[in-house]
Amino acid sequence: MSSGPKKRNFQIEAFKHKVVVDPKYADKTWKILEHAIHEIYNHNASGLSFEELYRNAYNMVLHKFGEKLYSGLVSTMTFHLHTMSKSIEAAHGASFLEELNIKWNDHTKALQMIRDILMYMDRTFIPSTHKTPVHELGLNLWRDNVIHSSKIQPRLLNTLLDLILRERTGEVINRGLMRNIIKMLMDLGPSVYQEDFEKPFLEVSAEFYRAESLEFIECSDCGDYLKKAERRLNEEIERVSHYLDAKTEVKITNVVEKEMIANHMPRLVHMENSGLVKMLLDNKFEDLGRIYNLFRRVPDGLSTIRDVMTSHIRDTGKQLVTDPEKSKNPVEFVDTLLEKRDKYDKIISLAFSNDKTFQNALNASFEYFINLNPRSPEYISLFVDDKLRRGLKGEKEEDIEIILDKVMMLFRYLQEKDVFEKYYKQHLAKRLLSGKTVSDDAERSLIVKLKTECGYQFTSKLEGMFTDMKTSQDTMQGFYAAHAAELGNGPTLVVHVLTTGSWPTQSSITCNLPAELSALCEKFRSYYLGTHTGRRLSWQTNMGTADLRATFANGQKYELNVSTYQMCVLMLFNNTDSLSYREIEQATEIPSSDLKRCLQSLACVKGKNVLHKEPMSKDIGEDDAFSVNDKFTSKLRKVKIGTVVAQKETEPEKQETRQRVEEDRKPQIEAAIVRIMKSRRVLDHNNIIAEVTKQLQSRFLANPGEIKKRIESLIERDFLERDDSDRRLYRYLA
Amino acid sequence: MGVQKDRVRFNVGGRVFETTATTLANAGRNSLFGAMFDDNWDLQSHAGTTTTEHFIDRNPDCFAVLLDLLRTGELHIPSNVPEKLLYREALFYGLLDHVRAAKWGSFDGNMLRLARSVRGLAPGDGTAIRAGPDGGCCVAHGSMVHVYDWMMEEHPPISLDYQRVNDAIWVDSDNVVISACERLGRDEGGIGLFSSLTGELRYKFRVTHENQAKSYTGGALSFNSDYKLFSSCKGRSNEYGIGVWDQVTGKQVDFFYEPTGWSLGEADKLQWLHGTNCLLVATLFPRKDNCYISLLDFRDKSMVWLWSDIGAPLTDERRVRDAIAMEETRSVCVVNEYEDLGFMDLRRSVGSVRWSSRSRLMKGKMVDEPCYPKLALHEGQLFSSMNDSISVFSGPDWVLTSRLRNSYGGSICDFSIGGDRLFSLHSEENVFDVWETRPSPVM
Repeated sequence: MSSGPKKRNFQIEAFKHKVVVDPKYADKTWKILEHAIHEIYNHNASGLSFEELYRNAYNMVLHKFGEKLYSGLVSTMTFHLHTMSKSIEAAHGASFLEELNIKWNDHTKALQMIRDILMYMDRTFIPSTHKTPVHELGLNLWRDNVIHSSKIQPRLLNTLLDLILRERTGEVINRGLMRNIIKMLMDLGPSVYQEDFEKPFLEVSAEFYRAESLEFIECSDCGDYLKKAERRLNEEIERVSHYLDAKTEVKITNVVEKEMIANHMPRLVHMENSGLVKMLLDNKFEDLGRIYNLFRRVPDGLSTIRDVMTSHIRDTGKQLVTDPEKSKNPVEFVDTLLEKRDKYDKIISLAFSNDKTFQNALNASFEYFINLNPRSPEYISLFVDDKLRRGLKGEKEEDIEIILDKVMMLFRYLQEKDVFEKYYKQHLAKRLLSGKTVSDDAERSLIVKLKTECGYQFTSKLEGMFTDMKTSQDTMQGFYAAHAAELGNGPTLVVHVLTTGSWPTQSSITCNLPAELSALCEKFRSYYLGTHTGRRLSWQTNMGTADLRATFANGQKYELNVSTYQMCVLMLFNNTDSLSYREIEQATEIPSSDLKRCLQSLACVKGKNVLHKEPMSKDIGEDDAFSVNDKFTSKLRKVKIGTVVAQKETEPEKQETRQRVEEDRKPQIEAAIVRIMKSRRVLDHNNIIAEVTKQLQSRFLANPGEIKKRIESLIERDFLERDDSDRRLYRYLA
Repeated sequence: MGVQKDRVRFNVGGRVFETTATTLANAGRNSLFGAMFDDNWDLQSHAGTTTTEHFIDRNPDCFAVLLDLLRTGELHIPSNVPEKLLYREALFYGLLDHVRAAKWGSFDGNMLRLARSVRGLAPGDGTAIRAGPDGGCCVAHGSMVHVYDWMMEEHPPISLDYQRVNDAIWVDSDNVVISACERLGRDEGGIGLFSSLTGELRYKFRVTHENQAKSYTGGALSFNSDYKLFSSCKGRSNEYGIGVWDQVTGKQVDFFYEPTGWSLGEADKLQWLHGTNCLLVATLFPRKDNCYISLLDFRDKSMVWLWSDIGAPLTDERRVRDAIAMEETRSVCVVNEYEDLGFMDLRRSVGSVRWSSRSRLMKGKMVDEPCYPKLALHEGQLFSSMNDSISVFSGPDWVLTSRLRNSYGGSICDFSIGGDRLFSLHSEENVFDVWETRPSPVM
């Protein structure tokens, strides 16, 4: 195709009447809109026609001038923001924030109106081109041109932090303005609020509280310091609620907690004369509550308090149970324990909001020190004995229950529950036989408690004792009904028939009863054996009591309340005036230690000396002689002599009880071993020890040496055998 | 009667309308009326005096329809007003959402009416139709996906390197994901996310194996509320299984490799179960000779439930053509080619099908170009397509309650429910039907 331009055949001309909108159309329309935006920023919008502006913006988008409209908007808005930024920079001192706030309000209002005009663009052009919507664009431009301008950003931050510092030091600031400015930062997006304000705010706060806490701790005691810390914490929480983002609360309280509490915990707790121990000693519930609530907020805070409390309870408790003075009086001893327990219960419920971990720590501490004293089981039983004997008189049923519940709490701490059982049985026996128990209900209630705590086995014998008492009553009624005629006016006999095994074992040494009585006893024996075949009766004279009517030489008549032994002795004086110790011993055959004790109470106690002893001395000698004390007088007609009172055991008695307990434990340990081996078949030594200890811990703490002995005994009796290849293994032999 | 304070007078394109500010408030703040009567614009003060007239340079007929919509909440389009015109006017006023909401009621399978049938341009068989969340839909035809908004306006079509499309899914009203076959040796096909509005590709979802990007064929798609996208993947060697991607970043986050003797990579259907956080994967005849249905738990990469017909004596009556999990009854519903429904208990670790011999109506009179049944579940109603009709089953015993039929276009090869609409795609003619719930009666 070399033909030049000269050779033109035809030419298609462009379609001349192409429908074009006025080429200036876009510019003209934009001018109108731009003018409107200026007017809006100049607070001069009342002259504008919304409908016209909306239609113009619509038309621009419709005629594909969306891009022009959008970029025009960006530059116009940027221009106005620059102007605003200048005027904010120019504001002096305190008016800075106010000016910023005013301009921000102006901008948001203008932005809303601009968005209204450009709504159609916002809805159609922006989504299809993935541009930023008008509202968000306005916020971004404000952020970049105003908040992040180099002359405003640092000044804004410093102003805000300075105002907060002034508020912390007691000045009143314009919280409304603060709230507006902070709200603006939040509206600009969470990252603006966090980076431009929250982060530096937290750093400055940490510094402030670090310095303040050091100053406080130097010049205040623990209680005051905590009050100040609490106040600061509340101030910060209040500040957040007034003008900061709610999410800041956790962060700022963490700062205060760390700087004011976590960093000073050991020093606060151990502060001389005002620390935790002092608060515990003085029952400072309010301070304790405060320390709990504050320390709870920081890691390891509660464990710090708990550890101090635990070691304090253990130390004081140890002192208490090992103090020989306190041990003298068992009732007082237990009372002190209960008092201590009540005190800490109250502290935990009032100040430590019934925190489970604190309750557990308290229990563990009590368990620790109560078992430091091997006599604790005995004392607790004695305490119960005392209460059930007399202490409960006049107290209401609910109070009795409360006391018993408290005793049960102490009981739970005991590791050697079987020792307690042993003593309890003895004491109960004495109470029942001497008829000294005040309330049958209270007795039974305690047994029920023990039963729920330790199971049926633990109380079956105790319950057996109550059954015996009841049956004996019925038997006696039957006996007198059958023999009413022949008994006449003779002495009245009351017999308690005790089941062997249910009651504490007693050496059954009988004494010689006076003739009148022994005949009566024989009658009873034949009556009883007549109704119950195949039983054996033996007399436990050492546990009985008797009421005697005595007429003295001066004609005075008294009713004497004595033990069976004492009765036997006194009856001898019906026939003679004077007897030597040996004669009495021969006639009654009372064991000498018992006889001495009983003579001592008949002759040596002032005001109750119905016998006269020669020579006069405190102790009973084998060569002493006794005669009726004719000069005996008493204000009361009824005289109670030498009642058998349950007392703290003497050293040999204690040894004996201990031995009996140890003896009783043997079959229990063996039973446990057999039970375990029966289910496991093969087990090594350490595991047996562990399992046996676990099984028995509700009753006592088994001694590993004893368990080993029991295992050996079981091997001897072919219950178990050692494994041939591994000597540490035991096998169960079925 | 005193003077009504909130009367407003408009002059629209020469016709005068009077209404109240209260009626206009129904338009909401994000409309022309909401902006116009905002305090900022200071127009309210004139509103009390009926003398002021607000001129709007628009079509008065459409304004009348839209004003009636604001007054009553109902949409009645006179025959002289084309729908498209009305939509354009509604867009101007910012009332398009109002129009859409009033156009059809909330979905009920037993109250549907055929709203319209839409013809497409593409040749060949349709692969799939998917309902969008706000009443639109997309139709996969060969290597293209045609996107329609709720007004049935077609938007620019989508393609992934012009490879054959296997599945498409709406992740939200603005975004569609499509999966396509790979082109050998090149990084083409796979899965991509597109703007439904403009059809542009936002990003592709890659499969990597030991830090190497692989080319693969994307199959069935599903996603969960946690912005995770799932797809069955079939590649050259190690890329068989279920891929998992983050929808927001497009990054691959997990891959469930196909265990030997089981099929995952060529699955026909994926379904995310929100209640149990598991994915149902079903590979069905005729893609494979046997059917494999399993539930995958991605937390510990285990198959928590599975069923297959391997080894079972196979008759056509026993062959599963589609499956859907029904979380409320803890069961999987399957269908055979005669539209018999079967059920499997998900609580048993190994499934077995209990067929219900409900209908044998279809048996024996197969149409010329049969389409295998498909299942869908929507708010307690079960839908199953067969030939040229769709059956609706309701109630706990899945009783047949309605049947939708439009015989024009041949058998239904796919259907989908979403945005309160049901779309069904025909196989003979390139046409799809839109079913909507009838508006409630006047009284």
